[in-house]
Formats: sequence, C-alpha cells, structure tokens
Amino acid sequence: MSSTANGTTPAGIDPRGPRFGAGVTNVLSVVIFFLALDSDRINQSAAYLLLVLAAVLFAVGAFFGTGAHPYSWLYKKLVRPRLGAPKELEDPRPPQFAQAVGLFVASVGIVLQAVGVQYGVAIAAAALFAASTLQAYFAYCLGCQIYLALKRAGIIRAS
Amino acid sequence: MPFETKLALFAAVVLLSVFAGFIWKTRTGRANLVKSGELVDLSKLEATKNGAKVSKYGRKVTFVQFSTEVCSQCRQTARLLGEVEARHKDVLHVEVDVTNRLDLAAHFKVLQTPTTLVLDSTGRVKSRIGGAPKPNVIAHELEKLEVI
Repeated sequence: MSSTANGTTPAGIDPRGPRFGAGVTNVLSVVIFFLALDSDRINQSAAYLLLVLAAVLFAVGAFFGTGAHPYSWLYKKLVRPRLGAPKELEDPRPPQFAQAVGLFVASVGIVLQAVGVQYGVAIAAAALFAASTLQAYFAYCLGCQIYLALKRAGIIRAS
Repeated sequence: MPFETKLALFAAVVLLSVFAGFIWKTRTGRANLVKSGELVDLSKLEATKNGAKVSKYGRKVTFVQFSTEVCSQCRQTARLLGEVEARHKDVLHVEVDVTNRLDLAAHFKVLQTPTTLVLDSTGRVKSRIGGAPKPNVIAHELEKLEVI
C-alpha cells in the first residue's frame, strides 16, 4: 500500500503551477458563462464548444497528470522564470484528482445541455468558476479536499 | 436574458465564491476543543512515524495527523509537526493514513485531510485541527499542555 506516511510519495511539483492553471480556467469559465447566457444561438454554441474544450483539457490533466497539461507548459515557459523557487513542493496526485473532478463537472454541463436543459453549460461554468476561484486566489483545492468525502460516501472506490 | 440579469447572476456567483474562500481562510487550521476526551489507542489506529508503527504516546503531547494519498496539504503539515517534534522532546507526531481505513475516518468523523488530533500525555483527545495547522495554533496547544 502506498502511503503518505511512509515516504513512497511521487516527486513534488511547484504548487503555483496548478494555481496558475486554475487562474486560466477561472477566466475561461467567465467567458463560457456569459456566452452561454447570451440570446444569440451562435454564442451559445461557442459556449458549448468552449466547455467541451475545457473538458478535454481536464481529461489531459486527469489521465496524463498535471505535468502533461498545456497550462503547466505555459506556466513553465512564461510564469515560472519570473518567479523565485517555490517555498515548498506539492504532491502531484491531489491536483490530478482535482482535474478529474473538473472533468466530471464539465461533462455534466455538456450532457445536461445536450439533453435539453437550457442552462446546463452556464451552471457548469458557474461551478467551475467557484472552484477555480478558490484554487487560484485562496490556494484552496476544493477538488482535492472532497476526495475523502467522496470515498466515504462510496462514490469513488479504493485505490 | 437581459444583460443586467446576466451581470447580477455573475455577481452572485462571484460573491458566493469569494465568501466561501474567506470562510475557509478563517476556519482552516484552527484548533477546536474536543469535550469527549476520548482515549485514542495508537496501535489500533496503526499510527506510523516514518513508516514504522508507533504505540507509545509523547511524554506531554501527541499530534495524530490523519492523511490520505490524495491530500494537498498533508506533506507540509507533516513537515511542520515534524519540526515541532524535533524542537520539543515531550512532543510526538504520528501519521494515520485513512485512504483505505474508512472505518477510522468514520469513527473520528474525518471529512478532510489533514485533520490533526491533539492528545495529552495520557492519550486523551484535547483538541482537533482541521486543515493545515497555523503555526500560532500549534504554539498555543503546546502552551496549554505545558510543553512551553
């Protein structure tokens, strides 16, 4: 059994990377939110496609790790060189789990809209906005934090 | 939908998110008194220290840190409490991985990790800290249990 207590954790990552990614998601979710609520059909379609894009990006992070995520690459290229070394490294598994939670939320929005729920995309965008706000500006990873609660509720199974 | 309605909806989402953020910021890492004074058996918890099992309490204080494999602040909490332990010979810090011990998580009502129980010299729970403990909170707990 791998454990946080016995030192078998994977190598740490710069915790500001996922926070930067959340900042990009934050902006993207605002754009999706307003486009989704627009009366123009074309804008509504654009919101739908942008949410699909967000879902694909979440899927990359969830399945291949946050290191493989395009936002992580952006962070390393553009942001990291302007900052000092991180004070502390973070376990890469929680942000990867949070990406899976993001994928779930985006997928729910896509499905709701597809089956005819009028504001499916807007609701998903609002949820993503809330979670990415907490992560980007408060360093609070909601997606990570609900791991144990989901496990206890039996929604996710033993690793 | 008129533009004003959209703006009002967006403002509501922003306010809720920021409010939640501030609530979390003020509540996380604070110690809450535990009245039950439950006796905690470290060997039943399969508590570990650097991977080795631990059953004896610290001379004055034991920090029992509940962790999981998916936990963004367990590492830094373990490091902080490890430093406290290194500075005070009467302090012990142990970790309990509840990833696959949901029975323990349920018993101690652990909903987030890290959650840290502060035990006195006899192994009774004095207080409980949800989230990464703030450093002054730890100092206050040490004062209460007469370590400093």
